[in-house]
Amino acid sequence: MNLIPDIGAGIFLGAFFGLIALGYSMVYGVLKLINFAHGDFYMVASYVSYSIFAVVVVGHQTGWLTILWVGLVTMFAGGLLSVASEQIVYRRMRGRPMLSLMIAALGVSEVLENSVLNIPAWGPQYRAYSVSFPSTGFNVDGSHYSWLQLAIVIVTFALTAIVYLIVHRTMLGKAMRAVAEDRVAAALLGVNVDRVISAVFFMGGALAGAAALLGGLYYGQINYLMGFTIGLEAFTAAVLGGIGNILGAVLGGFVLGILQNVGTGLVGSQWALVFSFGALVLMLWLKPTGLLGERVGQRM
Amino acid sequence: MRNPSINVAVRSRTRKLAAASVAATASLLVAACGSASSTSSSTTVPSSGSSGTTAASSANSGGTYLVGVPIAETGPNAQAGTEIFDAEKLAADQINANGGVLGHKIVLNEQDDACTAQTSVAAANKLVSLGVKAVVGGYCSGASLPAEPIYSRAGIPNILAAPNSSALVQGGDKSVFLMDPTSSLQAQEAAKFFANVLHSKKVQVVDDQSAFGVNVADLVQSNLKTLGVPTASIQAVPATQTDFSALINTIKSNGATAVYFAGYYAEWGLIVKQMRAAQVTIPLVGADGSVDPAFITTAGTAANGTYFTIARTTQFLQGSAATAFTNQYKSTFGSTPGPYSAYGYDGMNTLAAAIKQANSLNPAKVISALHSINTTGLTGSISFASDGARQGASFVVLKVVDGNFALAPVQP
Repeated sequence: MNLIPDIGAGIFLGAFFGLIALGYSMVYGVLKLINFAHGDFYMVASYVSYSIFAVVVVGHQTGWLTILWVGLVTMFAGGLLSVASEQIVYRRMRGRPMLSLMIAALGVSEVLENSVLNIPAWGPQYRAYSVSFPSTGFNVDGSHYSWLQLAIVIVTFALTAIVYLIVHRTMLGKAMRAVAEDRVAAALLGVNVDRVISAVFFMGGALAGAAALLGGLYYGQINYLMGFTIGLEAFTAAVLGGIGNILGAVLGGFVLGILQNVGTGLVGSQWALVFSFGALVLMLWLKPTGLLGERVGQRM
Repeated sequence: MRNPSINVAVRSRTRKLAAASVAATASLLVAACGSASSTSSSTTVPSSGSSGTTAASSANSGGTYLVGVPIAETGPNAQAGTEIFDAEKLAADQINANGGVLGHKIVLNEQDDACTAQTSVAAANKLVSLGVKAVVGGYCSGASLPAEPIYSRAGIPNILAAPNSSALVQGGDKSVFLMDPTSSLQAQEAAKFFANVLHSKKVQVVDDQSAFGVNVADLVQSNLKTLGVPTASIQAVPATQTDFSALINTIKSNGATAVYFAGYYAEWGLIVKQMRAAQVTIPLVGADGSVDPAFITTAGTAANGTYFTIARTTQFLQGSAATAFTNQYKSTFGSTPGPYSAYGYDGMNTLAAAIKQANSLNPAKVISALHSINTTGLTGSISFASDGARQGASFVVLKVVDGNFALAPVQP
């Protein structure tokens, strides 16, 4: 039993889940759409940053400045992909039964996965990032954490704060909250609903892009099917925290990350998922709206 | 919830049983294998089937002897499949140049099994309907297993080049023969390595929850117990997991002094990288499924010093015959033979030897000759246990040195 290292590792993993859950949650907030393709935005963005490192950055020093610009490009790519899926697919289906939209989202997911599969430079193989970070860092209670792990947690907090400020302190954010609450009323009051929804998709995709870069740098290995798993985990985190709620998504990420790690320590790795998803079922039973969930209609 | 189709589609050494367990995510499976199964027949064999002649260099006065080669020709395992098939072509050409089998010229007909259960079954039915007299091929256990009963019903010898799941020889099928030694031998070698070379105080065995991984992990664990090496209880990591910090914490706290991983290179690369990053420096040993260049690209410098148990693959064969084979292969196909090329080459030659011993092309007689065969190939002496498992081939321990797989200096 080693609770402190497990919690430490869980916080780091949770930050990663949280970043992806945030995008999931925002899109749900405005459209009530569970966008199953969200994990694949993360996957495609991973391939984008993989290619940048392999083709453009190759031979250059990968300092923090390089990471920063690659990160911004990756976020932009994730955002564009997300907006494109909204404009090409979801916008045309707005107002249809939610089931149609969810199935369309699964379709988008399959299209993205198989597109990456068929791009020769990406393909079905596992791809490894050409850059890797030294594992220097610091020790807490006998466990070693790298600076990169710390950076992932810090970036998650920073991006969450930015998203929170945009949603709660800007006109755009006010419009987002208005659209989330009542799309028709918001339109009647002069809010450009299409643009607001696109902005939400862009932010969600950009967050997935940020997670893609950080995940790529830390884990270093990507695959065209990985979006499915990570998407499901992020979705779970979003539900745990209260889907539609910004802080809830990140909190849910941390809770899921810690549950998975502590679960492994307690019951062995075979049972870790049973442990964490059992907790999810319990949560949904006792508090269906999630940790920070509010009553429907007032989310975001 | 995890997506097991990765087992089928992506791992290059999916010779195991992953394919059998993926019904749950059928749509993803189709997605993963779609490109692989779209072209089922090969390019070198004309659609007229039995007239396809890929190994027809030296004509012989007698008739032809049609041998089916079910092998992965598309998808992520296409390269490994092609390397086995090319080696078989080489063997068949040499046999034909020396007069063929009982005066009959060997003609190969290859069918793509794409390393998937569905395509493999289709390929098997095609080959049987073409009237092949024997089958020599296979790369993935998961693909070879469902095809096994089809060849068995047809009553023809089924010689498998690379697949080595022990499930392949547990069905009581008397017509299947494995060229690649099964996991039980691998487990014995691994346990001996921990006991005699590493002198491990406590071993942590980890599997990837695939049929192959669980099988090997259980065997290693029981072999370690037999040798009196203390073990921690087996840990399992789901395929597609990328973060192994919890597993690493467990290993740190339970006092294991060495780790054995029964699974594929994708996870093992990540585990090794994260283990070394967490400053865990104990010896790490992987199973044959993890031997892949992609392991080294993923783990980076952390790969150096890690060990692997694997059947002696082509590049680690010794002796003049092996050198001659490698040179011949290079000059014929312009590339170095793959890890399992030698097993395909030996498979074809073993078939020819069995025909000679039976003095008959009759499949039933060839099968009984294979049961009593005792010959020598590139991969060592060749004979089969009563269930068809290979005898005589050996496992070796590899060590990664400067980013390359090399024979470990001290073998168990």
